[in-house]
Amino acid sequence: MQLVSAEFFIFLPIVVAINFIVPRKFKYIWLFITSLFFYASIDVKSTVVLVIFIALAYGFGLLLEKNKQNTAILSVAIAIHIAVLVACKYLNFIEKTFLSLTGRTEEAVNLNLLATLGISFYMLKIIGYLIDVYRGDLVAEKNPLKVGLYVSFFPQITQGPIERAKNMLPQFNFPLTVDYDMLRDGILEIIWGYFLKLVVADRLAIYVNNVYANPMEAVGFTTLVATVFYTFEIYTDFAGYTHIAIGISRLLGIDVMENFKCPYLASSIAGYWRRWHISLSTWLRDYLYIPLGGNRKGTARKYLNIMIVFLVSGLWHGAGWTFVVWGLLHGLFQVIGYILKPVRDWCVNVFKVERNAFSHRVLKVLVTFLLVNFAWVFFRASSLGEALVIIKNSLVFTPWMLADGSLYKHGLDSADFFVAIVGLIIVVVTDLVNYNGFVIRERILKQGIWIRYIIVIAAIISILVFGIWGPGYDSAAFIYQQF
Amino acid sequence: MKKTLANVFKTIIFVLLLALAIAATVVIVKRKESDYKYTDFFNEAKKDHIDVLFMGSSHVINAINPVFLFEEYGITSYNMGGHGAMLQATYWELQQALEYCTPKWVVVDTYMLEKNIRYLDNREEFDDEDEVNTSVEQLHLNMDAWPLNDLKRQAIDDLIQDESVKKEFLYEFIIYHNRWKYLNESDFKTITGTADRNRLFGAEMRYQVELEPEQYPVVTEEDLLKEDTVGTEYLEKIIELCQERGIPVVLTYYPFAAETKDQAAAIRAGQIAESYDVPYINMLDLDVIDVYSDLNDHGHLNVVGSKKVTDYMGQWLSETGDLADHRGDDSYSYWQECVDNFNEELDDVLFSEDNLYIKLDLLNLEDYNFVLYVNGDSPVFLDDYLKRMIRNYSMTNKIDGTSGPYILVKDNSTGKTYEACESEELTAMSTALGTLNYRPVERYFRLLYSDEDPDTNYLYDEAHYLNDIQLIIYDEDGEILEHDYYKSNGGNYVR
Repeated sequence: MQLVSAEFFIFLPIVVAINFIVPRKFKYIWLFITSLFFYASIDVKSTVVLVIFIALAYGFGLLLEKNKQNTAILSVAIAIHIAVLVACKYLNFIEKTFLSLTGRTEEAVNLNLLATLGISFYMLKIIGYLIDVYRGDLVAEKNPLKVGLYVSFFPQITQGPIERAKNMLPQFNFPLTVDYDMLRDGILEIIWGYFLKLVVADRLAIYVNNVYANPMEAVGFTTLVATVFYTFEIYTDFAGYTHIAIGISRLLGIDVMENFKCPYLASSIAGYWRRWHISLSTWLRDYLYIPLGGNRKGTARKYLNIMIVFLVSGLWHGAGWTFVVWGLLHGLFQVIGYILKPVRDWCVNVFKVERNAFSHRVLKVLVTFLLVNFAWVFFRASSLGEALVIIKNSLVFTPWMLADGSLYKHGLDSADFFVAIVGLIIVVVTDLVNYNGFVIRERILKQGIWIRYIIVIAAIISILVFGIWGPGYDSAAFIYQQF
Repeated sequence: MKKTLANVFKTIIFVLLLALAIAATVVIVKRKESDYKYTDFFNEAKKDHIDVLFMGSSHVINAINPVFLFEEYGITSYNMGGHGAMLQATYWELQQALEYCTPKWVVVDTYMLEKNIRYLDNREEFDDEDEVNTSVEQLHLNMDAWPLNDLKRQAIDDLIQDESVKKEFLYEFIIYHNRWKYLNESDFKTITGTADRNRLFGAEMRYQVELEPEQYPVVTEEDLLKEDTVGTEYLEKIIELCQERGIPVVLTYYPFAAETKDQAAAIRAGQIAESYDVPYINMLDLDVIDVYSDLNDHGHLNVVGSKKVTDYMGQWLSETGDLADHRGDDSYSYWQECVDNFNEELDDVLFSEDNLYIKLDLLNLEDYNFVLYVNGDSPVFLDDYLKRMIRNYSMTNKIDGTSGPYILVKDNSTGKTYEACESEELTAMSTALGTLNYRPVERYFRLLYSDEDPDTNYLYDEAHYLNDIQLIIYDEDGEILEHDYYKSNGGNYVR
């Protein structure tokens, strides 16, 4: 059962309805059962692995609680978790790298133990939980079902957000009572998520997949458009999932952290990471960057720490050199940014640039966007060679392709292209509005009943009609699910 | 409590409005071909106006025209033929149709009897992926109009193997929501019930002429279909279904350029008919059509062939079927409206048709009178296809032994046909145009005039003197409906 499936649309109302009538103090039991059921419906073997790790998390949590600040226990616990993560996800990568160095790539066999859905996400949740207990920031949970629910909470299990235990566990003890307003709010959030995923992301994916499948055949602006489309595809895909997860959680009386804050409106790469996949970047900051010394041990060490964090981030996203390069590029952008800061400041002073001027902010946002866009090419490409071809092709100056119909030869006809562009405009405008402090969802809810009804019904019909779903399309899978 | 009740009420209203909007969307984006075909079936079945059901494949769609049948015999029927419909699809279609009406006769065409394909989406049983897609798509044309119920579920379970493909038949919106970019006026008219529909009661007429139908070896003992197939199994089920319900059934094999395997299947159909003691009409063995002018393509009849086959079936049903003649019955006025509508359509097709072969063929249909004139040394005299069509009208071989000029006057009003070639003259021809006289004078000049109006030369027009073919179509009142001039561009006759 995936979030985009008929089964899920039967499953969710049942879960919400029963959750509504279950007494507050027992709700966590119901949610744990449904979370396990949801996960098992995708993969039973992975559920066994999940249950084992819930047990480990529970046991190590109590052990760390009993033996305060015991580094050895924490190290063993983290080592076990990372070892399993490596065994499930990285053995093939290590093997391939080794074999390619010795020129024997054809000898590669599958070494990965098990393709376990969402393991990267719940491993980080567990490790974060254990470190919090170790540090004394959190009292270890005594109820194994609550630990289980924290790890397996079904709206988050496959793609996050990587919520902190100290935010989630208290909510299991005292879940919010879902009222009519929360219900409306949650449903609107879910609708927006499905719009982003089905109407925008999956439509852009058709074009992007077509160009990346034959990178040698698309040269010029068609490729450039593909790189920009991918930048928005991954955003709308992942943000779409997050909105759905937040909306579902709200229907269940659980408040989940935001994961995106208009990331493409950031004016620096550091700012971008404060807005993109916030739950991951704050996790890396709190549990890796700061323990490594952060910026407290000199400039060189700070730069090294940044590079380490982004190397880990790249590897976390995928077992491949393209992900490593993507991560390192983001680290490098930041390091270079810090190194060039005096030069930038000098330029600003010499040319008397007004830092708060609209034009200057737009320029910074644009440069940041282009850097992020550039790095996404490595993230999307299946190999470094393919990424370089895409970059080379997208730099060929062929603006006539925007008008001569070339864009319509890559899976999207003119009508679909039009819908994709309209979808992107809606996304950008919504982000701009949100950036300036307006939450459209709240605005809609303040409207009169008929306007609300018209907007919501039109949105649902738009998703059903313009959404990319049904035979011939694999809209069930979200991009971040593979990580 | 009051607030909760208000919220519940608001939620119910919202859900109802949403359901309404979704239902309207489902209707609008739905592919309309199936509804187009069956809307009148549902309408007429509700009124118990359908006496005969014609079942089968696209051969039936093109062979039987219920409008002809009503016009000529007063028999009301519905053409339930489905594109690419194998006999298992026909069986389920009949089952569904019988939920709505109990016809006095069921006529089942047995084309594709030899097919041994169990499931219409089984990729292993078709030659390539395209064939499977076509098979599934064609089944949609036959199935989409039927409402979702247990019978439809059983049908889809029996016809389709893949679970996801089954869902596409049961919940069509999952495939048709993508039609948003193809929506047209008719899609929206469905909401108000004013969408276009098939006014031929399920039939589709084709207007091309297959000039060179392939000829296949005659079936021999070795070619006979001896094994049971899925086709034979379902033909037996169809017969048994009709017999269970007390509905007389007749099997047919409509004519076309049949391959050897088709001839074998036709023989096997006869054996099955005999074993169930039901009548069987194998038109492959009957001289019902002219394969050189009545086929649209090697497998399908054109409108002229359809008229002949429908005529044959009309006579058979009239003599055997004990069916009422509904012509003149006010409650069947819609049928007469469709007859008039189709005749107008035929006129439109005839007069707008540029292709000389098709035009000459269409002249068979109506009681139009015409004059065909061909200049001397025209390439027409080397065109065996056209000469064959002319022979069919003249009923002589005169066209074969001449290099022109040539004239044929076919006057259905008087029932007379006149023909002349080379220097022959025709005088005192009794026609609806008057008493006509024809006299060739020189290469680009000839006379065709009536005694009543000797100053009008029908066959001379300065602007077209180089055109080597003239076709004058006139009605029973002597009014000239069309005067066409053609040039023979290497057999590609251009008006």
